[in-house]
Parts: sequence; structure tokens; C-alpha cells
Amino acid sequence: MSADLPSGQPTDVQRMLADSVASFIGRDSDMTRVRSWRGRAPGFDRAVWADMAALGLTGLLVPEQAGGSGLELADMAVVAEQLGAALSPEPLIPCAVLAVRTLAGCDDAEQGGVLLAQIASGETLASVAFQECAGDLQGQGKTTVDMHGQSASPELISLNGEKQFVMGAAGADGFVVSASASEASAADQVLAWVPADTPGVSLTPQVMADGRLTGTLRLDAVRIPASNIIARGNHATSILNRALDEATVMVCAEMLGLMGAALHMTLEYLRTRNQFGRAIGSFQSLQHRSVDLFIQQKLSRASLADALSALARAPQDAATVAAVSRAKARCNDAAALITRQAIQMHGAIGYTEDSDVGLFAKRALTLSAWLGNSAFHRRRFLQMSAASDN
Amino acid sequence: MNAPRTDWNTAADEDFRQELRAFLAAEYPDELRFLPRRLRWAECREWYLKLSRVGWIAPAWPVEHGGMGLSPAKQIIMLEEQERAGIGRMPDQGLTQVGPTILKFGSVEQQQQYLPPILAGEHIWCQGYSEPNSGSDLASLRTTAVLDGDDYVINGSKIWTSMAMDATHMYILVRTDVHAARAQTGISFMLLDMQSPGITVRPIRNIAGHEEFAQVFFDDVRTPTTALVGELNKGWTIAKGLLGFERLGIGSPRRPQYALTRLEKVARSRGLFDDAAFTDRYTQLRLDLADLGSLYGQYVDQVRRGEELGPDVSILKIWAMELNQRLAELLLEAADENAVLAGDVDFDGELIDVLSPFYSSRPGTIYGGSNEIQRNIVAKRVLLLPQD
Repeated sequence: MSADLPSGQPTDVQRMLADSVASFIGRDSDMTRVRSWRGRAPGFDRAVWADMAALGLTGLLVPEQAGGSGLELADMAVVAEQLGAALSPEPLIPCAVLAVRTLAGCDDAEQGGVLLAQIASGETLASVAFQECAGDLQGQGKTTVDMHGQSASPELISLNGEKQFVMGAAGADGFVVSASASEASAADQVLAWVPADTPGVSLTPQVMADGRLTGTLRLDAVRIPASNIIARGNHATSILNRALDEATVMVCAEMLGLMGAALHMTLEYLRTRNQFGRAIGSFQSLQHRSVDLFIQQKLSRASLADALSALARAPQDAATVAAVSRAKARCNDAAALITRQAIQMHGAIGYTEDSDVGLFAKRALTLSAWLGNSAFHRRRFLQMSAASDN
Repeated sequence: MNAPRTDWNTAADEDFRQELRAFLAAEYPDELRFLPRRLRWAECREWYLKLSRVGWIAPAWPVEHGGMGLSPAKQIIMLEEQERAGIGRMPDQGLTQVGPTILKFGSVEQQQQYLPPILAGEHIWCQGYSEPNSGSDLASLRTTAVLDGDDYVINGSKIWTSMAMDATHMYILVRTDVHAARAQTGISFMLLDMQSPGITVRPIRNIAGHEEFAQVFFDDVRTPTTALVGELNKGWTIAKGLLGFERLGIGSPRRPQYALTRLEKVARSRGLFDDAAFTDRYTQLRLDLADLGSLYGQYVDQVRRGEELGPDVSILKIWAMELNQRLAELLLEAADENAVLAGDVDFDGELIDVLSPFYSSRPGTIYGGSNEIQRNIVAKRVLLLPQD
């Protein structure tokens, strides 16, 4: 159990993963590829996605019996951190973490297994459509499922509603959709697999600050077989919530990579940029500010390590949910601070389109808004801490 | 008294922890638990001697010198259990600073002369580093030691010397070469009996009204050449080598945790958790503290694995001490007018001295190398930013 090891001690698997992802990322010597996909559907490169699948990344968390590697979240964190540092636009977390962890917990192992195998092979790119309005990750109520179907074809169910902020939606082959049989009752919650080409499914892509695409998914009388239901009732709510927490922690790892790269780039600039006849990194005000950024990076890593080990130890505990929120709040704030100070310390060049600094600042923006911003997670931390104290 | 065993390192970690926990619960005086200040020698002398008698006084020292020879992992357990039991900080400079220095740099004669009295509680040590004109710029120190026969003759003054009033001995940095090319290369590390003629200790009252430190004056004070530790003019290296395992202590979440507990009591008593603005600020600090705990844990793991702590451990001190101040300041705000009342204030039956965490949080960013100096160190040695 890699997650049980003391933090800061990578396992052999994690070292190997880090090496192979590093050489994969190393194919791009600069941000040209990252830039080229900005605002262009689907917002990432499906060919690169196929390479990532071939490398085993999309199937990293897929159970071995479904054709994956069956590795731990702590292992995926190593991958997410490196891809975060490289600003990879591919939707690894929406698909290979959020969708995979949801499907892996589903009621019907056989049906889930087929999809999981397709995700591992790269054949299917899945996303999870769960959110219905900004600032609310539960999203119960508005998207409904009619379980009785039509009299002519009783094996069909019907979905109606709208899902927002569906990450990776523009390139997805299908969606795990949450819906309720009646309004706002967890007991009536279902999770269903909806192929993107089903009649009645329509996607409105939206370009985000960093050029990646999110989207609003409309479901108008979408008829799918009842066998596409992958989980029902409290079980559906619980596997989705757990997968959301796990994806949240992986976003933290992605932001950790991002902030590390941004800080590295800034420190290098401070060492080499000369003004007043000396490197600006010799000025104490910039040195002290750099240390404050470094402290935030170290706090982020430590907080993330605790959230990972809590998830590995007791995924259902309120204290674990609190630890996840703590990590997201820290990583959000740290990534924002480090990338914005990167702009400041680079001076005017940092404010230009040509500079990579802006790419990091914008990715920090979009990642911190996804799966709960800092205010959201501070509130949830407090609620969950109170719940775990009682 | 339950007598602890002596084969500490062969005991299972959990057995060791339980034995220690039982010992601390049974033997440590309750009135000295969870105090927001360091202990004076008069109040903790009995406890020190008790630890000494059972052989638990020097966890990090080697067994052949009367220590416990504890592995880093078991030293961490000891630290954790002491924090858990609210054990106060004794005048421990002999145990944590002088002893390890003499073990590393001292002669066999010095080890025989100075180590046993530390273990026995006969010698209480204080640190003679800072001077009125040499604070952060310690290497500019001007207190001199001049060779005269078999003695060095010391003249000058040291300041901010914690517990100088209780100390029987001082370890001191003195200038032995006023012509050295670099300020750092003309400094030596010496040992000194505080009873020597020519020493005057003038206590300094701190901002909280307590006398915890002093200025010490040296007027032709003699110390034998045998009290020179290591080589002449190499004292700077020795002083720098002192930093190590002990640097963890200053970054422990213990102090800010103490302030948070008080903040929560006052806030509850005043109904502040109904105030969304207060609650958000409180939560932010709570997250800051929880993340400090995580970061501290990472350094503890590093020690536990037997790795040396690098200069980056300074960030623990920076974060812990500044967080402690933020908590103490929010406590003042939470108490409103009650914050200005000297001494204990009644909050729903709980007596809380609101000003005490505020006062005690202030020097944390100054002593042990100010946070500005710590940031200088991290910037240059960890982030590899250029020198001026």
C-alpha cells in the first residue's frame, strides 16, 4: 500500500511511473502543443490521449481484472503532479480518476468492467456529469430519470435535465450522469451511462480561461436501456461523493505540479534577470517573497500527503472529507499566490501572451474553481471537522 | 515511582510509548502542565532530578555518556508524549546544546568535566551569543577573549540571555582574532563559570513584565584555556553545527494549538461562531494550523528515517511562529474590550488570560534567528538565489 508509506518516500512503482511520465512529457520541449489546443475543440489532443492510454495512464486506477493496473491514488498523484507541471490539457482526472472511480464502485461489475476496460485501452473517453449549478457539487433534483419508460419499450428509461461544468465534455464518448427519480432525495438517485451520440444529448462547449473546454450537457427525453444504470440509491450517492473526493485530491496533485513548475521558472528568472547591475534575485524583498511562496508549496505537499493517506485509511470518515477539503483549500490558494507572484516577479514580460507565466496562472484559475474553490472547501472543512468531533 | 526499563532501544515502539506515557502521567507535577511559558529552575528542579535518577534526562546522548542513546524514531515518540502530557520546557541548554557540542567537538577531559554535572542537574547552562550591537549580525560580535597565561580574559557584554539568572555556566562566542579577514573566522567557542569574578547579570524585564532574560557584563573575567571547545577561531562553525534535531521543536504545532484552544473558548463564549466573517477567519487559521501539523509530520518522518534535517526546516519556524501571532491577534479581537484587561478574565466560567498568548507570541519571530534571517537562509541555501 503505497499510500501508507511515510510521505516523501516514493515506492519503486512511483519512481518508475515518474520516469516514464517524465520522458513522455519530455517529447514537448516547450508549450507549443499546449498553446495550440487552446480554444480549439476538443481542447486537447486525442492522439496524445491514445499515447497516454498506451502508457497505462488512463488505466492506472482501473482494476486489474478489467484490464488496468489497479494502482493506488498515491501512484496517480505522481502522474497528476507531472502532467500538472507540464500543463497537459488532456482530461486525465475527469476521465481516468473521476469516471473510473465512479464506475469501479458500480452495482453491476460486468457492465462497469466493460467501460473500464475501454477507458484503460483509450477506446472510450468518459466524463462524469454531476453538477447542476455553480458552487454546489451535489446537484440533486433538477435532472430527472423516468424509470418506467414507455409502454412500448419498458426496458428503456428516460433522462431529462441539464448538467453544467462537465470537464473534458467536448471530447467525451459518453457520460456518467447523476439523476433523481424524484426531487431531491438521495434514495432515488441513480447514476447512468449515457453515450454521447444518444438522441436528445446535446453539448454546449464553453472555453475556459486556460483555453480548455468545459460544457453544459442537455438531456432532452434521452432514452437509454435500463441496464445502463450503474448504481442506485444511497450507493449511487456514496460512490459519486467518494469519487469526487478522490478526484479533488488528484486536482491538488495537479496543482502541486503546476505551482512547482511556476515557482521553478520564477526562481530561474530571479537568478538571471539583471537590473541595477545585479541579479534581481539578490534583492531581499524578492528573496523573502520567494520563501513565502516556497512555504506555500511545502504546505500544499504536506496537506496533500495527509489527504491521500486519510483516503487510503478511512475513505468514508468525515475527518477524511475534512482532510480533502483542507488540501484543496491550501492548493487552490497556494497555486493562485505562486502563479500571480510569478507574473509580478517577471515584470511586464509576465503579463504578455508570449510568456508561459500566464499559462500557469490561468490553469491555476480553472483548476481551483473546479470541484470547489477555497471558500467552498473552508466551509466544508469546518462542517466535516465538527461532524468528526462529535 | 514506577521505574522505567533501561533497554529502551530494544523495546517495541508502542511499548516504549505506553511506558513513557504512564511515567509522565504519574510522575510529572500537574501544576506544571500546559504552561504558556518556559519553566524556571526552582519549579522544575525536582522533575529534572527525577528524570536524571531514572536515566531519562538525556534521550539523544550516547549511552556511554549517561544518555539514553535513543534512536531518532524513539526520540520523536518522546517528543510526542511530552507534548501530549503538556510537559514544560526546562532550562535545557546543557542537555540540548552544550552537551551535544562537547560530545562532538570537546576533548575527553572536557567530556569528563562537563557532561556528568549536566546530567545530575548541578550545572545549568545559558547561551552567550547576542550582544547589544550584534543581534541578527551575530558574526560582528565584539566581546573579546585574550590569552593571559593559562587563562583567557573576557571583556564585553552579552544580551537577551535567557535564564541567565538561573544559570551556573555559560557557553559563549568570543572574538579571539580581531584582525581576521572575515568576521566569522575570528570567533571562538568557550565555556564559562557564571560564578567567576567580574560577571554581572542584570535581568531585563520583558514586554509581558517577566524577567526571563538578562544582560551579562564581563569585566576581566577569566576562564581557563581548557574551557576552549574545538580549535581557536573555529567557534563559528561549532555554533552553526548546533542546529539540528532541536530545530524541530520550535516549529511544532504545540504553541499555536494552545492559542487556538483559547481562541475557540473565547469565541464560543461570545457567540462569535454565528458571525460568518469571524468564522471564515477562524477557519483559515485552523487550516493553517492543520497544514502546519502535516508539514511538521513530514520533517518528523525525515528524522525518524535517520535523515539529517536540511536548511529548509527553517520554514517550519517561520510558519509556526507567524501563525501563532495571527492566532493570538484574532484572540484579542474576539475578546473585544476584555482583551485589554490584565490577568485572567472570566469567559463562561473559564478563566483565560487573553494577553498572555499575545505577549508570548511576539518574541517567537525574533529569537533563534529572526524570521527575516530565516528567510535569508532559505532564499540562499535552499532556493539558491544569489548573494547580494
